[in-house]
Order: sequence, then structure tokens, then C-alpha cells
Amino acid sequence: MRRLLHIEQIKLLNYNPFRITLGIYFLAFTLGLVIYPALDKEIPVISLSDLFRFPDVWLFLTWVTEPYNMLLALIIIMITTKEFNNHTFKTQVIFGLSRTELLLQKLLLVVVLALFATLLLGLTSLTLGLIYSYKLTFKIAMENTWILGRYFVSSFAYMSMGLLVALLMKNTALSLLTFLAMRVFVDPVLFLVLRKYELRWYLPMRATTQLTPVPNLIEIFEKKMNSAEPIDESALNIIPDGLPGWQNIMLVLTYTIMAIFFSYRLMQRRRFT
Amino acid sequence: MKEILSIQGLSKSYKNVRAIRNLDLQISEGQAYGILGPNGSGKTTTLSIVTGIIKQDAGMFRWFNEAPEASQRRFIGSLIETPHFYPYLNLVKNLKIICDIKGMPYGDIDRVLETANLSERKKSKFSTLSLGMKQRLGIAAALLGDPRVLVLDEPTNGLDPEGIAEVRELVLIQVNAGKTLILASHILSEVEKICSHVAILKKGELLANGPVKELLAEDEIIEISSNNNEELKKLLKGSPLVKDIETENGLLVLTLDEEVKPADVNSFAFANKLVIHHMLSRKRSLESHFLELVKEE
Repeated sequence: MRRLLHIEQIKLLNYNPFRITLGIYFLAFTLGLVIYPALDKEIPVISLSDLFRFPDVWLFLTWVTEPYNMLLALIIIMITTKEFNNHTFKTQVIFGLSRTELLLQKLLLVVVLALFATLLLGLTSLTLGLIYSYKLTFKIAMENTWILGRYFVSSFAYMSMGLLVALLMKNTALSLLTFLAMRVFVDPVLFLVLRKYELRWYLPMRATTQLTPVPNLIEIFEKKMNSAEPIDESALNIIPDGLPGWQNIMLVLTYTIMAIFFSYRLMQRRRFT
Repeated sequence: MKEILSIQGLSKSYKNVRAIRNLDLQISEGQAYGILGPNGSGKTTTLSIVTGIIKQDAGMFRWFNEAPEASQRRFIGSLIETPHFYPYLNLVKNLKIICDIKGMPYGDIDRVLETANLSERKKSKFSTLSLGMKQRLGIAAALLGDPRVLVLDEPTNGLDPEGIAEVRELVLIQVNAGKTLILASHILSEVEKICSHVAILKKGELLANGPVKELLAEDEIIEISSNNNEELKKLLKGSPLVKDIETENGLLVLTLDEEVKPADVNSFAFANKLVIHHMLSRKRSLESHFLELVKEE
């Protein structure tokens, strides 16, 4: 295991596209720390800083940063297809890695990146929460931290799907396009087409985004305004219903396992030239 | 002698092309085994299968008398076709990856780079190397960890004459040190210089195999004609002088037994009251012998 990770480490830490993409990812997170509060001054009544208070900050930031997971998936696609382009899968096999180990290598990287992303989200949320919260008790601060687990599953799922696409297409540009098209075009269109059917919640990308749903913003602002009568949320229909939480997680895990299974099959069969 | 590689009934096709068919080979420890054949004869396919890059359609192979496993390849140094490394990494980092794969410390890297005459370029990116240097790095990588078996597929391909000589020298040193070598090549003289055993492939089939001395031995061939060719042919067939005798355009073509000189044939004829009035040495070169083997359908 450590051997495999070390191999990936040598490959990646010297690979510029990886460093750049990871840099962008990191910047997107940390700039958020600066930019969101700055934006705040522009909007009068509603204060964004309300969203940065414990325990809402966990849900809000998870929702906001969920698209960043795409960058992680793109990293996985890039490095996997590069191994085909450079014929280095072949080299690694010749010198003694099994095909299963080749896949394991990439899966380990997926786990490491997912942990990194979750940690980054956790630290960012914690920092913002500590800055903007009025009341600070441990119990309030730790409420909603479960969402981090979902974030981990979400980034793990995206990267696994990216890995499958990369192994399937082998070509960098084609894989990136396919994956992005799935996320921004195919899934949303199917979602609209299937809008009358429950099935729409089962689309792989949609199910994954549903892991980190839009937080109940209305409720958050309501709390602040202390309005006497609660607003009828269902009438506003801002928050999509979707599948029950646990069911959604099981669904995404199923997709992830399927992606890994098919990746395994592909890896065993690919002819390395 | 310990068995290193044993191949049985190996077959592989690509779409409509049959790359190898029902191939059998046995390679024992300490042998320098050449796989000789023209381009497209299945050499690379065979070596690709035994190094795990592609899967065979039928048949089996065993390394070290065991069913094939990825971990066995850590004890084999291989170079299949052109070497492929990470273009953006320098030579040392590329070799570190190989060390990690083989599960060995990095201590050997300097030695193999020195051996392959690449020490000066060790901090250069792989992509900046010339073709010959890349090839030498491939050999350096194969030598990492001093493996007991070397599998080299056309190691001198794309090298200049100096490079070819260097690589052959390098390989010979390994052979003389008792390593087992499996060398695929389409260059007869290369196999002849380096190898003790040879298998000759053509269109994926094994034409012949055995010790180089026997297979590629330089037979002495002469053509003769006498006042009675029929009689001479009959007499020579019964004598221990010739291995083979054929009639060609009214001439007798003799393949002489080892140690037999053309003069011996002449005195033999004379003793039998036959007069040879034409005698020409047709010393068959290795090249034509090889071509002959490969040409046979």
C-alpha cells in the first residue's frame, strides 16, 4: 500500500497539471474565506455571515464547495489517461505491478484526495464558524458535522466515476469532455425529461449532488428575522425533495462500487501497448 | 539445470492476424536464449505475453517453474520494444518509481546509470533524451536490482553503430556473469554473437530451436561434377564424408561433414576411379542459412 502510494507521489508531485489543478482547488477554497465575507457588505438586509455561523456553516459551505469536487475528478481523469498516453501502465506491469495494483494505486489516490478535500472543507468551515458565530458551545459547533461524511462520499463517487471514464476512453480530452458533459448536460437534461418520474433522482450525477443538498436558507434567515409566522416552504418549492438521505447515500455508494467494479474489469482486459 | 521460462502451446491473434501459434519454448538457467525472426514473426508478442502486458488466447507459460504472477517480474529485468517512462520526470525519479515497484531501495540507481553511461544526464527529464539514450535508460532500468533474468526485445533498435556495440558489450557482460538472457532480435549476427541457444520464429510459428552452434553452424557446401555423377552420388551417400547431397543443374551439391575438406572429397573420388572436373566452394553464410530457414514454408 505505502509502496503504491509512494509511486503515485513521485509521479504527481512533479506533474505540473496536477499541481496547477490542485492549486486552483486550494485557492477556490481559501479565496472563499476572503471573498464571501467581502460580498457580504454588498447585500444589505440578508447577511451572508449568518450562513457562516455554527451549525449552519457546515451545510452551507458543503453545498457551495460541492462543484469543486469536479476538479478532483478531472485530476483523476488527467493522470489516468496520461498513463495510457505515456505507455507507463505498460512499464509498470513489466517491472512487476499487477493490473489489480495499477487500479489500487489510483483508488488509493482517490481516497487520499477525498480525505484532503474533506479536511480542507472541515478546516474552512471551522475557521469561518469560529469567526462569525455569536454563541460558541461545543454542541452547537459540532452539530451538522455529519455533512462532512457525505462530502467525502460525494468526492469519492465523482472521482470513481472519473476513473471509469478515463479507463474507458483512454484519451485525455475525450474523457474530460465526456465527464463534463455528463455533469452539465446529460444528467440535467435527463432530469428534466424525467421530471414526472421518481427515477430522476436515481441519475448518477444528480444522486451525487443530492448528497450535499441546498441548505434550508429560508429557515436560516427566518431564525435571524425572528418572524412570527413561519413561511410556507413547500409553496416556495426551493428545496428539491429527492430521495431520503440514507437511501441516497446507498444509491451513490452502489454507483461508486459499480464504477470501481467496471474499472477493475477494464483494467484486467486492457492491452497495454 | 533449473527451468527459468517454459512456454507451452502459446497462441495469440489480433483480430485477423495470427501473431503466434502453438509456441513451445524451454529456457533454462544460465542460457543466453535468442529469439530470432523477421519483423512480424511474433517475437514481441511472445515477450509481451510472458511479461504480462498482453494476455494469450491459449496455452500457458511458467516462470521459475511457477504459475505466472506479477511479483515474479520483480526478479526479471525487461525491456520490451521502446522503453516508456514519465517524460516530465528526470532519470533518477523515473528509476525511483521502478525501484518502488520492485520493492527495493534506491541505492542501485547510480550504479545502473553509470553502467548505461547516463550519469551525466541523471537530472535531465526523460523527454529530453535522444532515442539512443532512452534505449540505454531502458536497459539501465532492466538492470536495476541485478535481476537473474534479463528479457530484452530488440535492445539495439534505433541505436547508432557505437551505441549498438556498447549495448552488446553491456549485455555480454551480463551473460558472462551467468545471467539468463532472453533476447529477441531480427539481426542474426547479434544472436550469434551473444546467444548460446536460439529459437527461430516465422509468422508466429517455431521453425527450429536449439544450440546456436548446431542451428547456425557454418556448414561447408561445395558443388562438384565428375565423369559419372550418378555413380559418385551413390558412393558419397555411403561414405561418412557428407551430411547431405543433392543434384542441382547437373551438379552435385554436397554439405560436408564437419572436419571434412574439399580435398578429401577429391581423393575419395580419385580412389574410386572417378574424375572430378568441377569443384566450387559455396560456403554458406549464416545470413543465407537464416533466410533459408525462414523461407521454408
